[in-house]
Order: sequence, then C-alpha cells, then structure tokens
Amino acid sequence: MMAKRIVTILPDLSFEEALEVTKIYSIIGKNEAQGIMRTRPFRNPHHTISAVSMAGGGAFPKPGEVSLAHHGVLFLDELPEFKHSSLEVLRGPMEDRKVSISRVQANLTYPCNFMLVASMNPCPCGYFGDKERECKCTPSQIQNYKNRVSGPLLDRIDLHIEVPNVKFKSFENTKEELSCKIKERVEKARKIQQERYAEYGIYTNSELTPKLMEEFCVLSSSSKSILEKYFQKNKLSARSYSKILKIARTIADLEGSENIKDKHILEAIRYRFMDKR
Amino acid sequence: MVSIIKSIALQGLDGVLVKIEVDISSGLPAWEIIGLPDVSVKEAKERVRTAIKNCGIELLSRKYVINLSPANIKKIGSVFDLAIAAGVLTSIGIIYEGSRLKDTILIGELSLEGRVEPVNGVLPMCIEALRFGIRRVIVPKKNEKEAACVSGIEVIGVSDLKELVNYLNGKMQVEPIPTSSYGARKNGTLYSIDYSEVKGQAGTKRALEIAVARKS
Repeated sequence: MMAKRIVTILPDLSFEEALEVTKIYSIIGKNEAQGIMRTRPFRNPHHTISAVSMAGGGAFPKPGEVSLAHHGVLFLDELPEFKHSSLEVLRGPMEDRKVSISRVQANLTYPCNFMLVASMNPCPCGYFGDKERECKCTPSQIQNYKNRVSGPLLDRIDLHIEVPNVKFKSFENTKEELSCKIKERVEKARKIQQERYAEYGIYTNSELTPKLMEEFCVLSSSSKSILEKYFQKNKLSARSYSKILKIARTIADLEGSENIKDKHILEAIRYRFMDKR
Repeated sequence: MVSIIKSIALQGLDGVLVKIEVDISSGLPAWEIIGLPDVSVKEAKERVRTAIKNCGIELLSRKYVINLSPANIKKIGSVFDLAIAAGVLTSIGIIYEGSRLKDTILIGELSLEGRVEPVNGVLPMCIEALRFGIRRVIVPKKNEKEAACVSGIEVIGVSDLKELVNYLNGKMQVEPIPTSSYGARKNGTLYSIDYSEVKGQAGTKRALEIAVARKS
C-alpha cells in the first residue's frame, strides 16, 4: 500500500523522461491511452517471476520488468520468496541503469533507471521482534529465511526500515499528510542538490563520488565520534559507511541545513539496521 | 518495374530504415518475400494479396518478388504489410503518383478486408524515422495519436487500403494530425492514490521521503 504510493511523491516526469517511458510501453503494445504517459510506472511482479522476464528476453528480446519500471518504481513484495536467479539479475542493471540482452536474433539494450523497493517478513511466521505476539520460528529457520536474500543485493539497497504494526489509535487520525505536501519537500531537497552539484555534472546525493563526498559530507567532530563508535561496534563495510554519509546529507537537505548535524547522522544510522545482522 | 517503398524496423528501441522493393515479372505465378523475414512477415503475402483483392483491385498471375533491404537484419511483425501493399500497387500502376511517397514511411498491418490495423512500437518508430530525415509517416488511424507525440514529422492516419491509394494519388486530402503538446500539467494530481490514505506509519513515510529525495 505504501510502496504503491511512492510514485505520488516523485517529481513529475520531464518530457524526455515521459517519452522514454512511453517508447518502452509502445513496443510491447501496452500504451493503451496512445498519448504520452505522464505517470511514473509502478511494477510489482509476482515472486514466481523468472530471470528472463525480470531482465527482458525472448527469441527477439522484449523489455523485462526492470525496463518497464524505467523512471518509476520496481516493487518486490516478499523478497525472500523470489527465485535466487531472478534477484541476482538485478545487480548489473541497478548499477548501469541499462540492461543489455544478447540472443541469436539480436543484441539489444534497454534503459532501466528504476527505484527498487522490496519488502520481507522478519521470519517465516512473521512475528519475530513483535512486541505483542510470539514468534514460533527456530533461530536456524530465521537465519535460512534471511539468507535467501544475498548479501551483495542487500548491500545495494540504501535504506532499510522496520515497519511496525499500526496502532488502533491511528485509524481515528483523519489528518494524514497529502502526497503533494511531501512532494513539495522532495522537490525542494532535489533542487538544493542540483544547484550544489551544478558544476560537477551530477544531480543527486546518490551519485556522489568518494572525492565529492569529502567536500560535501563534512562532519563535525561530535558527529564523527558517533559514527566511529557505531562503525566499530557493528563492523560496518566501507560501502555502508558511505551510504550513511549520503543519507545524512539528504536528511540535511530535506531540512534545508547546509551542514550535516549530529541528529542527521543519528537518523541515517537508523536506516542501516540490516548491517547489524 | 521495381518500386521502392520505405518502412522502419525496430531493434529494441533503435530503428533501421527498411526499403521494400517490389518487382513483378513474367514466369510461374508466385509471391516471394526475401530479406530475412520472420514467419509473421512471410504471412504478409497472404494478407496483402487478399486485402488488395477485397478492395476490388485485380491482381494478375505473375511472379511477385518482394525484397526487404537491408537483408542482413531479421524483420519481425506485421508492420510492413502496408508498405508491401503500397509497393505492389505502385508496381501495377494503381498508385501512379510518387510525390507523396517521397521522404515518407509506411507503418501498418492489413486485415483481409483491407482495413489498416494498429501495430506496436509506433512511437519509437516515428522518433527514429525523424533521425533518418523522414518527413512524413503514414500510420494506422488507431495509432495516429501516439505518432503525433513526435514533433517535426507529418502524421497521416489511414483506416483502409482504398484511403491510402486515394491519398497517395492525390485524389483525397488527409489532414495531418496536429502534434500533441506535452506542456504544463493541468491542475490536480496525476494519481488516484495518495499518502493521506495510509494511516499512521510516520516512520516509514519519512524513510520513503528520504529515499525519493536522494535518487536521480
């Protein structure tokens, strides 16, 4: 329910982006409205999907789910249930933002600049870590379940969160924030990033290179010591370290703050809880 | 006489300009499609022949050779039907005016009755056609809206083979479809769903907001 709504807080498609999306849907005959598609695609393939339909293929290669989610969201519900091979094909396309498919008939490249969103239960029964209900799984069952998602793939996912059960009280709350308000903040944060990186040829924090991070992700001495303690306690990888910095940079941008403060680092750390396992 | 009509083949999102050459000669009556056609393209000869017949045009029993050039690229789909039909009709003199075929590509599938049926991939084809210096595309009526998303190219929508013949011979005027403008979006939201429908879950929403704000 929440993943489906991510497209509502993403900035509107530019004309070029909309054209790229429409081209892909036109090839497979799914541009029913016939005009230019203005909405960002949201794809949620079932977990029985094969590697070929994920990446694209066939005797004469057709775009796969990764390309159908171009400029939109690819949502994988129940991540550990997916076939290992279908998940591993995501690794290349996620980094390159395009996928090359070779078959006897043709060698084709389709664009696939998508945002990956995935969900999973904490254990097979679903109650591990729940405050009100008891989990009936054995530790090895839980470990096996988690191991079905490979480390390299998990490493490429930038933010991890635990989604708690909804409290009864929140059903009464009728004043939830509208998507357009969230979108406004997102657009503002992106504009800050765009202006800051104007002369470096990148647009967002996710594209920061190690060298640029030294310049734009400067930490105060207190923030540094927080991060150091956390890093050593949880034996983080270099990749996690740079991800925390980039997330903290984004949180600061959403707030309109020029420098990364302690609270930004502390919040960013919360989004890497899967590193601890 | 060899007549040449242009169409376009898609290789993924890239296009290749295809020249459809039709030659009619005496000899044993036959229809040959050459130039690496897929089964779906080979079937075009039956569709084209029947469509022409059902438009009231008589085809003589001759040897028809249809070449799709460049011959080293596999051609798939039914998009060449219209161009093949136009090539045959030019060869037998039914289409006698060549001016409207200059810098023009034809895209479309034919039904046995002679109606022009919609095909997939019209938008990327039109975008690629522009790259090859094509100025006009003739597309199925049902695809004209999609083709009109491309500016700088004249889009002619045809609904049947007779209309195509009359248009090409200059006996009928078909107004080009105006380019649809993207422009600024109308007020209101594009989506029928909204985050305000999700109760609670402030932490998750916050994380998604951060995720969206940092991605390109």
